[in-house]
Amino acid sequence: MEQPDAIIHQKLRLKIMAALKALPRGERLEFVRLRAIVNATEGNLGAHIGTLENAAYIKVDKDFNGKKPRTRLSLTDAGTRAYTDYVAYLRAIIDGDIPR
Amino acid sequence: MTLSPHEAADTLRDVAAVEDRSARAYGYQRGSPYLILWGILWTVGYGLTATWPQRGNAVWIAIDAIGMAASFAIGFRSHAGTNVPARRRWMFPGIALITFVFIGATLAVMAPVSPKQIGAFVPLVVAFGYALRGIWGGLRFVVAGAVIAAATLAGFLLLGAYFDLWMAAVGGGALVLAGVWLLRA
Repeated sequence: MEQPDAIIHQKLRLKIMAALKALPRGERLEFVRLRAIVNATEGNLGAHIGTLENAAYIKVDKDFNGKKPRTRLSLTDAGTRAYTDYVAYLRAIIDGDIPR
Repeated sequence: MTLSPHEAADTLRDVAAVEDRSARAYGYQRGSPYLILWGILWTVGYGLTATWPQRGNAVWIAIDAIGMAASFAIGFRSHAGTNVPARRRWMFPGIALITFVFIGATLAVMAPVSPKQIGAFVPLVVAFGYALRGIWGGLRFVVAGAVIAAATLAGFLLLGAYFDLWMAAVGGGALVLAGVWLLRA
């Protein structure tokens, strides 16, 4: 990968991907918990989640837990591949495999 | 858009920190309902044992049966609607079952001479398990294990006849509080 994936090159989007990648396969993370993990505001986080969802990197499930609305997110297979590739890209830069 | 090696290293560090925080939060979230469940059951079990010591065995058979059934229910319900592999759904209930069997086998071999010893041994095993879990799962598990162990030893060594009441209030209470603490992490 000579050029990074523009979608997850953005710092907060990369953090969202990292938080979801840390979950066991098939698991979902609640929006409120994700917000605490990546230390973002609700509006900012919502906008970046939309971008990742449009790219089919994450899946967003909305339902009700009792009477409270709940949003849960998980990484798709495409998202897992994109994240893995991006981390490999970062390692390649550190190892000097990608010229500046 | 290319990063320098220094920037790439910083980004990798940030990403690793987020992964670590997320994995820890996930473990806390999954572990919390079991602590709260067993905390309530300990309070009921030790409370009933303190009230009717001669019915202690029957009380704990019922408490353990309810606890195991509820642990399995939590394990399966918490994964409902996800694509989580079946193996993972069995993880927490499986740990509870293995612990239960280990405690039973150890008691059969060691043959404790008083119910109080059994009443102290079980929480110590649970505390040990949580402290171990904390080594890779997060500091809060270690703290929960240490508090349960300290409360159990204090009750066993210092309170004599009031041990069951102490464990109902402090042992069960500590488990519930630890569960709520994990949930809020």
